[in-house]
Amino acid sequence: MKLDGFILGLSNGAACIATCAPVLIPYLLGEGKGIIRNCLLTVQFLLGRLLGYLLFAVLAWTISRSILQDTSRHDLIIGAAYVLFSVLLIIYGFFKASPSCKTGCADGGYHKLMASLLPMSLPVVAGFATGLSFCPPFLLAFTGATEQTSLLAGMLFFFSFFLGTSLLFVLAPFVGLFSRFSVLKIIGKMAAGLMGLYYLYSGIILLLGGLKRI
Amino acid sequence: MNKKIADKVDAQTGMGKTILLCLPMMLITLMMYSRGQLPTEPARLFAFVVAFVFINGIFFLMIRTGKTDRLRSILFVTYAVCFIISFISHLIEARGSMAVSQANMIEGLTPFCHIVIPMTIIPAALTKTIIFPGTIIGGFASIASMFALWIGASLALGRGFCSWVCFFGGLDEGFSRIFKKARIKNINLKFTYLPYAVLLVVVLAAAMTLSPVYCEWLCPFKTVTEFAEITSVKILIQTIIFVSLFIVLVMVLPALTKRRTQCSLFCPFGAFQSLTNKINVFDVRVDPDRCIKCKKCISTCPTFSINEETIARGKTGMTCMKCGKCIDACTQKALFYHIKGTPLTGGRFEIYRRLFLYPAFLFLATMSGGFVQDALVKTIKLIATGSMI
Repeated sequence: MKLDGFILGLSNGAACIATCAPVLIPYLLGEGKGIIRNCLLTVQFLLGRLLGYLLFAVLAWTISRSILQDTSRHDLIIGAAYVLFSVLLIIYGFFKASPSCKTGCADGGYHKLMASLLPMSLPVVAGFATGLSFCPPFLLAFTGATEQTSLLAGMLFFFSFFLGTSLLFVLAPFVGLFSRFSVLKIIGKMAAGLMGLYYLYSGIILLLGGLKRI
Repeated sequence: MNKKIADKVDAQTGMGKTILLCLPMMLITLMMYSRGQLPTEPARLFAFVVAFVFINGIFFLMIRTGKTDRLRSILFVTYAVCFIISFISHLIEARGSMAVSQANMIEGLTPFCHIVIPMTIIPAALTKTIIFPGTIIGGFASIASMFALWIGASLALGRGFCSWVCFFGGLDEGFSRIFKKARIKNINLKFTYLPYAVLLVVVLAAAMTLSPVYCEWLCPFKTVTEFAEITSVKILIQTIIFVSLFIVLVMVLPALTKRRTQCSLFCPFGAFQSLTNKINVFDVRVDPDRCIKCKKCISTCPTFSINEETIARGKTGMTCMKCGKCIDACTQKALFYHIKGTPLTGGRFEIYRRLFLYPAFLFLATMSGGFVQDALVKTIKLIATGSMI
């Protein structure tokens, strides 16, 4: 493990959780599960973030770090990730199948599909998209990674950074303590949908900006 | 004597007692409005007398008739309208426009409003700074003075803040009283949770971006107060969003539903303020023995705070703004103001009501007095000179 990456992550954990909490907390509240199930969802979310980080480490290395120099391309990639993620979040917040629809609704097929796909994909996609956000900790980590001598070292740096930032997420599953308040489930879902609208706007703006510069 | 007249006589307080009960309010408002010295300028003196008589007249009628809501509403709506007249004229006087420029923000010249409070807490804890381009102390509507007002009003009134103190609430209340009957009656009660979702999102997003996101993107009241100068597509989109929200939530929906839709279906501060009802000593209770299940209180409540479930529990919901509409509407006197921890029987409800009215009305009188006087002076100036400035 790269100690400098870990410490960098640890020292920026608060800023990192401030970026990810607006998505993760409403989602966990909306799911209304207990602490153990929330642990699993948080791990899925973190896995998505890790994927985002590692992808960036690989991309930065393989295309000789040009991905960040060409701002139009990075805007397009992140914009597309945001749009995909926001659509999932909006569907989750405002249209996700209710339990009664899983068996007997007229359009039960669609609802069944959404009900089975969303819980699996959403935390990972959410983690991936928020992991790609250019928050100050991410930029710091990227600067650190560019100084590494090999692809493996760069990936290890990002991985250490990820571990450091993830420590504060240990608190997130405790949202499950409130799972007995059923109204929080409704509020969490609505909040997730509203956050989806915000990310949809951000994604569209990034896409338009990227397309304009091509 | 039929029952209705008997009830009316029963609810009324005698003239001598009413005057005695109104004296403290008259003295306090006299001191506050005059600040120890009567104005010498004729327009200011006229505004002072009108505001004093009008506001104390409302309180007198509240005590005399035993009715709360309709009288409160008259002053509350007047307060909101006068606030807007006064605020806009001052803005134009100081800046020449309702638009706030980047330079104004950098100089910290943006007045702080109570709706920002929930958004400032997490960033203040994390960064020890207030994420708003206003001044901490001094100046107009400073951050410290607004926090002090909010803490005091929350301790005294809980969510009663939204019906007795908020300078915006009178707008959707005014529109909600335009038509005699509601045009839209069936509203999905799921949407009453939306303010909590908006609260959660704006609090977390404010912590993420270290900026007051609700003010930037959503606050409908910017339409009638101040807004960012349109210098980019982003600000144009923000303007379209908040103007649309104002038209829909503050004007159209209240008029069609006869409910305070902005306050009960959207406002994050209202949701936040509901939590303070838990620490406030006043509440509104229902006597299930007197209740005849006519559901009049459910249909009249402007904030969807009463339903059959809450009636069965003998109280209103957490979102109750203590406006008194349900209490006035109940023909059986089954609803009443109450002080937590005191007996629910014994016929002391008028005393509880008066004990609530004193702090509540004092806040309303204090907040509205200055704006009513200022708006009157500006209106006189407009008539006399053709300009408010």
